[in-house]
Amino acid sequence: MVLVLALGDLHIPHRAPDLPAKFKSMLVPGKIQHVICTGNLSIKEVHDYLKTLCPDLHITRGEYDEDTRYPETKTLTIGQFKLGLCHGHQVVPWGDLDSLAMLQRQLDVDILVTGHTHQFTAYKHEGGVVINPGSATGAYSNITYDANPSFVLMDIDGLRVVVYVYELIDGEVKVDKIDFKKTTATTHSAH
Amino acid sequence: MQSKGTLKMLSKQELKSESAESWGHGSLPFVLEGMLYQIGSTALSGPPLLPPPPPPPPTPISSTATHPPPPPLHPSNPQSIHRYLLRLSETRNNSSHRLSKKVINMGQLRRIASQGIPDGAGIRSTVWKLLLGYLAPDRSLWSSELAKKRSQYKHFKEELLMNPSEIARRLEKTAVLNNDNGKSESRCVLSRSEITHGEHPLSLGKSSVWNQFFQDSEIIEQIDRDVKRTHPDLHFFSGDSSLAKSNQEALRTILTVFAKLNPGIRYVQGMNEILAPLFYIFKNDPDEEMAACAEADTFFCFVELLSGFRDHFCQQLDNSVVGIRSTITRLSQLLKEHDEELWRHLEITTKVNPQFYAFRWITLLLTQEFNFADSLHIWDTLLSDPEGPQETLLRVCCAMLILIRRRLLAGDFTSILKLLQNYPPTNISHLLYVANKLRGPADLHSNLFCKHRSTQMDAMFSQIILLSTLLAPHPCNQVFDTLHASMAMP
Repeated sequence: MVLVLALGDLHIPHRAPDLPAKFKSMLVPGKIQHVICTGNLSIKEVHDYLKTLCPDLHITRGEYDEDTRYPETKTLTIGQFKLGLCHGHQVVPWGDLDSLAMLQRQLDVDILVTGHTHQFTAYKHEGGVVINPGSATGAYSNITYDANPSFVLMDIDGLRVVVYVYELIDGEVKVDKIDFKKTTATTHSAH
Repeated sequence: MQSKGTLKMLSKQELKSESAESWGHGSLPFVLEGMLYQIGSTALSGPPLLPPPPPPPPTPISSTATHPPPPPLHPSNPQSIHRYLLRLSETRNNSSHRLSKKVINMGQLRRIASQGIPDGAGIRSTVWKLLLGYLAPDRSLWSSELAKKRSQYKHFKEELLMNPSEIARRLEKTAVLNNDNGKSESRCVLSRSEITHGEHPLSLGKSSVWNQFFQDSEIIEQIDRDVKRTHPDLHFFSGDSSLAKSNQEALRTILTVFAKLNPGIRYVQGMNEILAPLFYIFKNDPDEEMAACAEADTFFCFVELLSGFRDHFCQQLDNSVVGIRSTITRLSQLLKEHDEELWRHLEITTKVNPQFYAFRWITLLLTQEFNFADSLHIWDTLLSDPEGPQETLLRVCCAMLILIRRRLLAGDFTSILKLLQNYPPTNISHLLYVANKLRGPADLHSNLFCKHRSTQMDAMFSQIILLSTLLAPHPCNQVFDTLHASMAMP
């Protein structure tokens, strides 16, 4: 039972002052084991805040990040799943499933997490999952002005992952969940 | 409890050499325990010796009207003790078919156990279970009761120790089957399903399974820390051996299940210390079947034992009538009744607040003040006293103070506290004797400091009666009466 928080595109302080209060009240330290962030935080203070939630923090570089040392892509293994992380502005057309699928194959991961579009999406593709957690602050994007704040929490339990989608709609937190079961176990060790 | 009888005959010479003069305070129980141990031991003492032909007439002691009166048991007649013990082993062998009908006389058992249960006889486990009400006095009910309780515990464990992922999985097993296996398309948007009742991991709702899980995990961490610190000097509890690890695991499970079943009191530091002796005794039961189910038995006995002392662990009740402060005040009152001079010296002259020492004594039931073996003896008395463990505990604490009165009266604040927080090693039998004398109205020096030897004889015969009650389950009431009559000597 491993909890992984996936979020990104906060654009603090340029496009949004802070996370929504309701999100902040839910995100308390001690519950989450890993945090993966697609990028565009954009400043170090946000990095520090995420670090307080959980010491295991993975970030990839978005085009507005002030810290240039974040990698472009990242892969990590949690339990039976391999996760891939990328901001998504590198993958053109932005948000296109085929292009993202190419990236997923390239990174050889089960779950690919990208951002940049500020829209939550979750696709199933060839035995893997492509997730876009959206923008955690609801900041406007290149494509759209209306973005609901959203983030994703994954509960990895053996071969099964339950994806909880948290969205702030009209001031209320709405939570949905998505079930995904991996068909084969990761036999070859890339751990 | 199925110990075979192996009676080693101590010759007249051997016994007489243990002369009356050499029977100091501590040695009498040891002599007696030696004798009892030889009776209760199985293969350990080597090949069993055949008991010599019994003295006539050896008819089994039963509730029939006619039976020969037992030989007069006079304290200075060691032969008679032999003969009596012989007869006990005889009658037990002859009447195993009566075992199932035996109903144990709890009053007798309490009176005897309060004198102390011999260590080597392996009966402490069963006696404690009887005293705590876990086993009914009627032996025939034991197997059914035990099976019921053990399965109940197993059920608790399964229910309460699941993590939320598993719970969620169990709840919607059918929904999952519909989702993934049916879809043969290689790509699609994944369907979202709504969450009911805020059952998501970050939920802050009180009824949320996840929220409870995270709150419990703090307690579980606390329990884990305390269990690792329990009795670091005993191999049973600590160290790297697999035995220690499995025992620690058992302690952890018991405390976790208790904390989850009792949301009002949860887990408080110190409960592990109360649990440890119970688990130790039950796990070391010579009967293998009982020892295998020690965890379940310990859980229920722990609940029973703690029921009288729960209020000491509840912080909100600290200042109430049932809380720890009021109990400490009662102890103070008791001391004032029995030894005003000492009380005055402690409370008024040196201003030693009883909370500084009595808090640990009372909440941990004296497990931290004495070494492990001694605290087991004290617990024998605590559990068996008909007045109840709370009252008895206060009397024992009062006795602890009175026994070292001279040093306390001579000390100042620092030295008194030092003394009381590291209580000096003392003779437990004497301590319990003094505590016993504190019963009822205060009658100072004649009771407290009297070291009359007749009490040693009382102890010896009580041990014999204990033996007869437990190993030779017969309604031996008439024998008891005669024994008691012979014991009623000035």
